[in-house]
Amino acid sequence: MGARIAGSIGGRELTLLVAGLVAMAIFAVLSPVYLSAGNLYQVVRNSVELLVVGLGLTFVLAIGGIDVSVGMVLGIAAIAIGNLLLAGADPWVAALAGPLVGAALGAFTGAVIVFGRIPAIVATIGLLGVYRTAIFALLGGSWLSGLPSSLSDIFAARIGGFLPASYIVILAAYLAAFVVLRRTPFGLHLLAVGNAEERARLAGVAVRRVRLAAYVVSGTLCGLAATFYIANYRNVEMTVGSTVALDAIAAVVLGGTSILGGRASLLGTALGVLLIRVLQNGFTIVGLPSLWQPVVTGVLLLAALSLERLAASGGVRRLAFGAP
Amino acid sequence: MTDNAFLEARGIGKQFGGVTALADVDMDIRRGEVLALLGDNGAGKSTFVKVLAGAHRPSAGTIAIEGRPVSLASPQDAAAAGIATIYQELALSENLSVAENVYLGREDVRRILGIPFLKRAEMRRRVGVLLDELDAHIPNPDMPVGGLSGGQRQAVAICRALNLDARLVIMDEPTAALAVAETRKVLALVRRLAERGCAVVLISHNIADVFEVADRMVVFRRGRKIAERRRADTDPEEIVSFITGAHPSLRSLEHLG
Repeated sequence: MGARIAGSIGGRELTLLVAGLVAMAIFAVLSPVYLSAGNLYQVVRNSVELLVVGLGLTFVLAIGGIDVSVGMVLGIAAIAIGNLLLAGADPWVAALAGPLVGAALGAFTGAVIVFGRIPAIVATIGLLGVYRTAIFALLGGSWLSGLPSSLSDIFAARIGGFLPASYIVILAAYLAAFVVLRRTPFGLHLLAVGNAEERARLAGVAVRRVRLAAYVVSGTLCGLAATFYIANYRNVEMTVGSTVALDAIAAVVLGGTSILGGRASLLGTALGVLLIRVLQNGFTIVGLPSLWQPVVTGVLLLAALSLERLAASGGVRRLAFGAP
Repeated sequence: MTDNAFLEARGIGKQFGGVTALADVDMDIRRGEVLALLGDNGAGKSTFVKVLAGAHRPSAGTIAIEGRPVSLASPQDAAAAGIATIYQELALSENLSVAENVYLGREDVRRILGIPFLKRAEMRRRVGVLLDELDAHIPNPDMPVGGLSGGQRQAVAICRALNLDARLVIMDEPTAALAVAETRKVLALVRRLAERGCAVVLISHNIADVFEVADRMVVFRRGRKIAERRRADTDPEEIVSFITGAHPSLRSLEHLG
């Protein structure tokens, strides 16, 4: 176990950490306001929803799946929460509605992929269109705004006087994801299915159930992210979630989770999210128009994928696994 | 029929459409014995093994395990009957550790609040014991299996079979892709498996390997069992002549064929 943890933390995660710190140092030199507490807090605050979505997407990529509709699931869940709040529902009920709506949509996405036998990338591009249209229809052409602050108050409440409740929820989500991935048969089955479905089936793994469950987990966490989204912004605009999929996939792949499945790192995902947000924030501060942010993310994604190709083709793999 | 027969197959036949892949095969498979199946490609040995593994339903014949007739309609049936098959391409997950592979699909768990948690330490300990019993050394069992040598992977696959309480282990060309030293180790594993009381069925094209490890040999030709010999009663030359069809006793058969 010791070797395993050391082995998995050693490479990619450390690289991300160093890359993030180097980037921060450069931005700090370029701009005097970069290292201000206000700006750093902004980076963390902007990372929250992406981190939660990324954790779920790590499960989906672990099985060799993909979901480009995660942002739309977040959007629909956010609209549900917003409407509940507007209708005067208890904020706790609204908070719970997010993950529930997300789980239902995740189950639907998973069912389309698993039972429809449609490649995940094609299925989720199709669903992206469906869900996006649903968002337009639900919003009826205008923003959902003027939401009461009751949900925000819950998340802003300081537990024990200093720790915001939202941090506790995120920490709990991360730990739960970690335990499920590393300490339960389900986690093992995810990685086995991601490595080679047929072999997993021969070994007695219920492949279809595992694949479906991965999408439900991802949907649920998208819904949880929507709860944070509403608590943070207290409105839902028409373009809700439109950059979430690109950012989340880039973060997960940067973190060392294989796009081909079979390998997953939750810590890598968390660091990948932070790196992306640090770069986006830094580039904005030094004057790069925010329109360019997707370019930064896209380049990072492509770089991470080429790195994975390189590893798969030999050189790096031998280093990573050691001699047989 | 002997006292220690684990499995008795009688009159096994298998048709694929109009093609006869297997005809009228009788075979006893005994505990503690290594039985080698030999024959050219397409001779029927793989088809026969797939019948035992539950992958093919026989068109004719009966199979009894420990004297009781059984139906091996699926791989699950075969597994329930104590039959484990180790395929050439080893169905291991390269990204998982040794213990994870051995237990995959039937993990040891401890339930806390209804959530199943892996008993990792217990699983690792048990796999260590199995590897010791097989005298197989894997220096780094927590590494992904993808980093292991071919022989070490065979050891992992055998551990998995033992952990499933297999009483008959079928191995399809276990040494096909191995270097000489690795082949030695795997053959030793096969012997140790039999010494533990397991019945072992081995498919191999390598006559030298077969003579080193098998107690009994059966030669298939054109879907039929044409010869059965105890190792002490035969030599490689005779077995090869059966495989190629050059053996004098086969001349009349060849005419009919």
